[in-house]
Amino acid sequence: MKRKWIATTLACSMLATMLAGCGGEKGADTQAPASDAPAGTTEDGESAGTVETGELEGEITFWHSFTQGARMDAVQAAADSFMKLHPGVKINIETYSWGDFNTKWNAGITTGDLPDLSTAQNTGEVVEMINAGVVAPADNFLNTFGRDKFSEKALEDMTWDGNTYGIPYYSHAQVMWYRHDLLDAINAEVPETWQEFYDLAVQLTNDDTYGAAFSCSTNDLLGARYLNYYVTSGGGSLLNDDLTANLTSDLAIEGINFWVNVYKNCSPAETVNYTVLDHATLFYQGKTAFDFNSGFMISGVQSNTPEIAEFVDAAPLPKINADDPDYSAEATHIPLAIWENSEHPEICEAFVAYLLQEENYIPFLEAVPVGMLPAVAGISDTEAYKANETVQFYGNAVDVISKAIELGNAIGVDDHGASVQASYLTSQGIIESMFQDIITNGTDVETAAKTAEDQLNEIFDMMID
Amino acid sequence: MNMLTCFKRRLGEVGCYVYVSILAVFAAFPLLWLFLCSVKESGDLLANPTSMIPQKFTLANYYNVMVNLNLGINIKNSLMVSLATTLIATVISSLAAYGIVRFFPKLGNMMSKLLIMTYMFPAIVLVIPYAVVMGKLGLTNTRLGLVLVYLSFNVPYAVWLLVGFFKTVPIGIEEAARIDGAGRLQTFIRVVLPLVAPGLVSTAIYMFINAWNEFLYALILTSSSSITTLSIKLHTMQGADVLNWGDMMAACMVVVVPSVVFFSFIQKYIAGGMTEGAVK
Amino acid sequence: MKYKEKKDYGRWLWVLPAIALVICLFVYPLGSQVFYSFTNKTLIKSTYGIKGLSNYTAILADPSFWLALWTSVKWTVLSLLFQMLIGFSAALALNSIKNKVARQVYRILLIIPWAFPTIAIAIIWKWLLNGIYGFIPTLMVQMGFAKQLPQFLSTPEMVMPTLVMVNVWFGFPLIMVNVLAALQTVSQDQYEAAQIDGARKWHMFWYITLPHIKNVIGLLVVLRTIWVFNSFDIIYMITGGGPANVSTTLPIYIYNLGWVNKFVGRSSAAAVILLIILLTICAAYFCVLNKWEKEADS
Repeated sequence: MKRKWIATTLACSMLATMLAGCGGEKGADTQAPASDAPAGTTEDGESAGTVETGELEGEITFWHSFTQGARMDAVQAAADSFMKLHPGVKINIETYSWGDFNTKWNAGITTGDLPDLSTAQNTGEVVEMINAGVVAPADNFLNTFGRDKFSEKALEDMTWDGNTYGIPYYSHAQVMWYRHDLLDAINAEVPETWQEFYDLAVQLTNDDTYGAAFSCSTNDLLGARYLNYYVTSGGGSLLNDDLTANLTSDLAIEGINFWVNVYKNCSPAETVNYTVLDHATLFYQGKTAFDFNSGFMISGVQSNTPEIAEFVDAAPLPKINADDPDYSAEATHIPLAIWENSEHPEICEAFVAYLLQEENYIPFLEAVPVGMLPAVAGISDTEAYKANETVQFYGNAVDVISKAIELGNAIGVDDHGASVQASYLTSQGIIESMFQDIITNGTDVETAAKTAEDQLNEIFDMMID
Repeated sequence: MNMLTCFKRRLGEVGCYVYVSILAVFAAFPLLWLFLCSVKESGDLLANPTSMIPQKFTLANYYNVMVNLNLGINIKNSLMVSLATTLIATVISSLAAYGIVRFFPKLGNMMSKLLIMTYMFPAIVLVIPYAVVMGKLGLTNTRLGLVLVYLSFNVPYAVWLLVGFFKTVPIGIEEAARIDGAGRLQTFIRVVLPLVAPGLVSTAIYMFINAWNEFLYALILTSSSSITTLSIKLHTMQGADVLNWGDMMAACMVVVVPSVVFFSFIQKYIAGGMTEGAVK
Repeated sequence: MKYKEKKDYGRWLWVLPAIALVICLFVYPLGSQVFYSFTNKTLIKSTYGIKGLSNYTAILADPSFWLALWTSVKWTVLSLLFQMLIGFSAALALNSIKNKVARQVYRILLIIPWAFPTIAIAIIWKWLLNGIYGFIPTLMVQMGFAKQLPQFLSTPEMVMPTLVMVNVWFGFPLIMVNVLAALQTVSQDQYEAAQIDGARKWHMFWYITLPHIKNVIGLLVVLRTIWVFNSFDIIYMITGGGPANVSTTLPIYIYNLGWVNKFVGRSSAAAVILLIILLTICAAYFCVLNKWEKEADS
């Protein structure tokens, strides 16, 4: 008897849940996800939208990759106030980690589930989107907003056949990070050449800390990034002039050997499978003495091990010889892209302009001070921006990174302009598997480099018309 | 002699206790560790990798996961998708299994063999075509789309399992009901289903677990945080800006503990259900 | 049973929903998958052409395909072997525990792993085995078993055994629960009769228990083989197939071809090959099982 009762109740509740579920599904595409919008916005929007004509009206989906914390909140706050300002507009925000974002939009090409507006991991990813034909030119917006407000190099990274496809949202660049408490303890100067760096890293490796980590998970781009530092420091490139891959030049081979040695002699063994995040966490937690990264290091260290935050500083990337010219290996301008399939590009443009307005932009940048440097001219001179304590405290790091942003381009873009090839250098995990192959299987460096080069060239052939 | 056998039996039983105790530690330790780590502060978590006792007990991770990350929504989604899949699949597959057993004496065998063949198709093989189909049906990023996909993976296997259970129902009982004037469907619902209830329950549980745990299709086919399931939410946490192990531990606890409780209540029913029918 | 098959059209209604579902959501995708395997379709471009068998030849010539196949075989055989051994012996041990409460408690403890969704398995084991903060490596160093923190997930020789261990942890409860259920269906009368005849425990196990549960075990082996061979998420979420592809099984190889390199055509061809392999294995298995069934019937 009892059992029967339980079974009936269970069946009823199952049915109820299911019906409720299916009812909700139909509206899922068009309705506001409950979590994203403050209650009441939808109703307000609908009633007001029908009254005011000529106002912006419609719904856009915005995918961004600020999955947590202050950055996400800053974007959400801007979206909320934008929707209040334009009651006819509805902005659905979805967040993905960078890795998932690529999978998502790739799948979206097949399933048709694509956003109206999104961030992209780097300018290279925008070029991939251009190649797939899913992203719309942003020239209209740029001309209205003012091209001169953005750095020329940032726009160059995303310019293709005369059109520019992305709007820089914020900028950062790769520099060397070090702990001056650890350097002081052994009376060492900040290294200027790769050799000095390596010697110090070896010296600082002991039971508790590692000199520097070298990571090469195939799900991420660290192998390509690190190799690119070295090759760029010697004036070379990972791409030939005809846009084929070049991993077998003397410089590239030297670079591969250099990083393999770093891995063997100063890095935790586990990093062979580490992604950018795992890797950076080591420095955040004081496990490594040196690291190469953007200004995100500061907030990472502050939140993980605040007691060492004051000892952290940045310097330009090492050179091969101390008297080589200054260089910058990689500057990244995180773009906002408007998608080809969007029914409301005008809303996207208005919203982007709104995000870049000083009162919305500065709180966003302050979410990760020093990590996200302004991509819009003039912002860094405003009092509000300069008032930030972190920006003040790490003034040297800000200068170092700013200089690297000015000098640098995305990986593989340097002399050749934006290309799909450049973006495939980092998105395929091939350079990373090459490193893994050398490290774990002991494959000869030249052979591994040649194999990886061939693989890249094959992919270039297949993916690019 | 008698004492010796008695002693031997004792020894055997003690051995059994020792063995299952070791296994129990192996099986349950990760859950214990999950719990301990979920109530530690993040500094403590990293500074003392082997300390069992948290320096300071905190529920901050749980608060963060439930309130800031809104895990509740994803729990609801996972429940809805899994329950809908289970319920619909149970209905469809019990109809089909009964039909195969009763009305297709010749074709039936072949039908159930074909069905079990579909169980062999690795989920990974069909991701891209499924994405195309769901795109064409306009069902991407809906829970309904996920339910359909899970149905297609679960129904064939469930039919195959249930065929075994329905075979055990003696035809005589049905004929008696039929003589009493009950129609086919009535006979099926009133007479046959109660007889195979244990099999139905265990099949349903099996399908529920599959749907609850599924990862790949949920990753590819859903994009909204308000639609997607728990697995995907946990996956997203791993790729967050700052890796927070404490949060991840708390989120895992929230997912795992209800399952453990559920499993301990239903294990009677799962027992044997997955193979019993098929070998009968 | 005197059931007339031919005239009854209503009977199709019973199986129609299931058949429709399988056709719509299985046959079509599978067909298109086979079709893609002859094309150079990519994930992000809309145009593609028919390329004949070139995908198949490219895959069969790819050493990493054969490596992935070998890894898959190791992964399946080792996982299954230990899952069976531990699951089976745990069931026997539980069955010998006479105290009901103790038995119940142990049963609950032992099925805990089964309640873990794959992503939770990945997170907790990555954390337990973490080469810097992990409980197990640190404990091993503290207890003097190792000088340096053992790197379970990055030392090439240790990666597969570690993954297999995780899979055994996850999979043995299922075997245990099923075997336990089968053991409880063996009637006590047979044992009592044998005991009166003075049979030894070992003999009773061999001549009464084992034949009785043989079919269950056979079936479990078949189902778990398919399941483990096809499993993608555990490895994908723990190591992603690395380092240097040492843990890349066929499903991961297929995923990488399709979603990282974006070669849908080539990934489809690999998928078709995987399917053929599985069908062959299963055909062999089912032959054996059928034979057993016939033996049991006669």
